[in-house]
Amino acid sequence: MVKKIHNPLKIDYKNCIIEDKLLQVKNFENNDIPDLIPVWTLQINPRDSKKIIELIRSLQDKDPISLQHLKRIQKTKDNKFLCVVIFSKEYMEDKDQVITLLQKNDIKYNSISDNVLVPRFAPMIKELVHQWGKKYWPLTWNGNPNDQILNDYVINMDSIKNMLQKIANLSEREYTNGNKFPIVTAFVDPINNNVKIVTTDKRSCKDGFALDHSIMLAIKKVSTLQKMFKENKDPINMTSYLCLNYDVYTTHEPCSMCAMALVHSRVKRCIFIKPMSMTGALRSDSGDGYSLHDTKVLNSKYEVFQWLGDEYANIPELDPNVCC
Amino acid sequence: MTWETIMTHKEHMATAVKLAKYALDKGETPVACIFVDKITNQIVAYGMNDTNNSLNGIAHAEFMAIEQIKLRFSNDHKGFAEFCSNCIVYVTVEPCIMCASALKQLRIHKIYYGCGNDRFGGNGTVLSINNNMSTLGYDGSIFQQKSIPGLYRREAIMLLRYFYVKENKRSPNPRAKLDRNLDTKNFPNINWSQYMDRKLFGQEFGLNNLRNYDSMTDLEDYKSIDWDLIDSHYDSIVRDIKKEIKQFKQKENKKLKI
Ligand SMILES: [Zn+2]
Ligand SMILES: [Zn+2]
Repeated sequence: MVKKIHNPLKIDYKNCIIEDKLLQVKNFENNDIPDLIPVWTLQINPRDSKKIIELIRSLQDKDPISLQHLKRIQKTKDNKFLCVVIFSKEYMEDKDQVITLLQKNDIKYNSISDNVLVPRFAPMIKELVHQWGKKYWPLTWNGNPNDQILNDYVINMDSIKNMLQKIANLSEREYTNGNKFPIVTAFVDPINNNVKIVTTDKRSCKDGFALDHSIMLAIKKVSTLQKMFKENKDPINMTSYLCLNYDVYTTHEPCSMCAMALVHSRVKRCIFIKPMSMTGALRSDSGDGYSLHDTKVLNSKYEVFQWLGDEYANIPELDPNVCC
Repeated sequence: MTWETIMTHKEHMATAVKLAKYALDKGETPVACIFVDKITNQIVAYGMNDTNNSLNGIAHAEFMAIEQIKLRFSNDHKGFAEFCSNCIVYVTVEPCIMCASALKQLRIHKIYYGCGNDRFGGNGTVLSINNNMSTLGYDGSIFQQKSIPGLYRREAIMLLRYFYVKENKRSPNPRAKLDRNLDTKNFPNINWSQYMDRKLFGQEFGLNNLRNYDSMTDLEDYKSIDWDLIDSHYDSIVRDIKKEIKQFKQKENKKLKI
C-alpha cells in the first residue's frame, strides 16, 4: 500500500480518473444505504476496558472484515457502562467459542450480544458518517474510502496501452474484412504470460452463432487450455482456477451475459473502450444500470475501467442495440 | 390453461429433475434442463451443469443444451434462430443472470423452472433479465419473455441441499454443525409477485389457485415432496432422452422430405 503522495500515477480522486485516461466504473446506486453485518458486542465496566482493548488490537488483523471505520467503544444510554465491538460474527460465529476466548483472556463483562448490526464499510461521503453513526454505530471519518481503493490499484499504463492498441487494430481489421460485429477481447493471465488469448466476435461468421460474443469465446478458450495443461500434467502453465485474477481488455462494454460470465470466471479486471449506452451492463448509466461487476447481492467485485482517451478512434461504431 | 397442458409441464419438469439427480449422483451440481419443441411437445436438447468437470465457470446446464442445438444447425443461422424461438425450457433452478441473458438473446419462447436462484437468479430473484430493456434479442428486438417458477420447487431445493451436505462432508473444514444437518421440513415461501403478476399466474395455474399467489405458498400439486422422484437413481435417463431427441430428428427429417 503506497501513501497517496508517493503514488507515481496521476489520480483525479474527485472524478475517479487515473492518468487522465482510465475512468473507474462504479456502481453508484444505493451508496447511501449501508451494507450491514452482525458483530459481537460486550457491555463492560469502564475500569475493565484496558484488557478488552488489548484483545481487540491482537485480533483485528485476523478479522476478515476490517472494522477500522468503527469507533469501538460507546457509552451506554445511562452513562454507567461501556459497549464494545470486539469482532465480526464472520470471524467467529459460535457463541460458546467466543465465550471461551473471552474467558481465556480473562475478560470481565456484564453481557454479550450478537444483535448489533454495523455498516460493513465507511460511507463515501462525510455527511453520512453522522447519520449512520446515530442510526447504527458511531463511525470515524478517514476520508472517502474510494480514495484508498483508487490509490491501491496496480496499474501499468504501458502494458494497458499495448493491449488496447492490439484489440483496436484487430477490431478495425475485422470490420474491413466484413465482420458486422467487430468486437474484440483479450484475456491475460498476469501471473503466466504464456496465457494471452485474443478472440473476435463470431456471430456473423459462417460457423458462428448468436451467442458467440468475444468474451464467451475467450472464456471457453481458457478452459480448453486449462484442461490441456491439466491432462499434460503441466504444472508451470496450470496456474489458476477458472480465469482467476485475469485481466480482460475488450473493445466494447459487455452485455449482461458477458458481464455475468466474467463474474462466474473470477476475473480481476475488465477494461473496455467504447461504452454501450443501451446494452452495456457495467456503467451505472448504461442499459438498465446493472453494474454487474460491483453488485452487493452477487458478491461481485471485479475492477472495471473505461478508457477515456481518443487513441483508439479506429474502433468501428456499432449499432446501439447490439449486445457485446 | 387446460389440465392436460399443466400435466405436460409437470412431466417435462420431472424429466429435468431426474436429470439433475443424475448429475448429483455423478458429483456435479444438481441443476439440469431440457429444451422442448413447443409444437410437437418433444424433447430436443438437454443439459446438466458441467462446471466442475470442465474447469469452465460458464458451463451451466442451459449452455450445454444450447451447444447441442447449435451442432444440429452448424451453418444455418436462420434455422437455428427459428428453432430456438420455438423452444420451451424446463430447468430445475432459475437461470442465473448469464443464462437468462443467453435465453433472452436467443428469443426462447418460454421458461419454466423449479426453485429460485437466490445468489445469481436472472429471472426475478436478483434481476429480471427476461423483462428488462437492455438485454435484446439477437436481432436487436426488445421484448418480454415469460418465465414461470414453482414446478417441483421443493424437489429442486432438496437436490441442492443434498449437494451442499455432500460438499460439506468432503470439505476439510466443515462449517458450523447446523449446516451439516439436512433440512427436509422447512421451505422458504415463494413470493410469486417477484416473478409474475397475478394475471399471468392465473393464466398459468388457474384462477382457483390465486390464493397461493396471495399467500406466497406452493401450488397444491407441489406441496408435498415426491421423495421417490429425487431419491431414485436414473442411470438410463441420458440414454432415454437421447432416444427421444433422435425420434424428434427423424420426424423432422421426414417432414423435410415431404
Ligand atoms: Zn456479450
Ligand atoms: Zn447460468
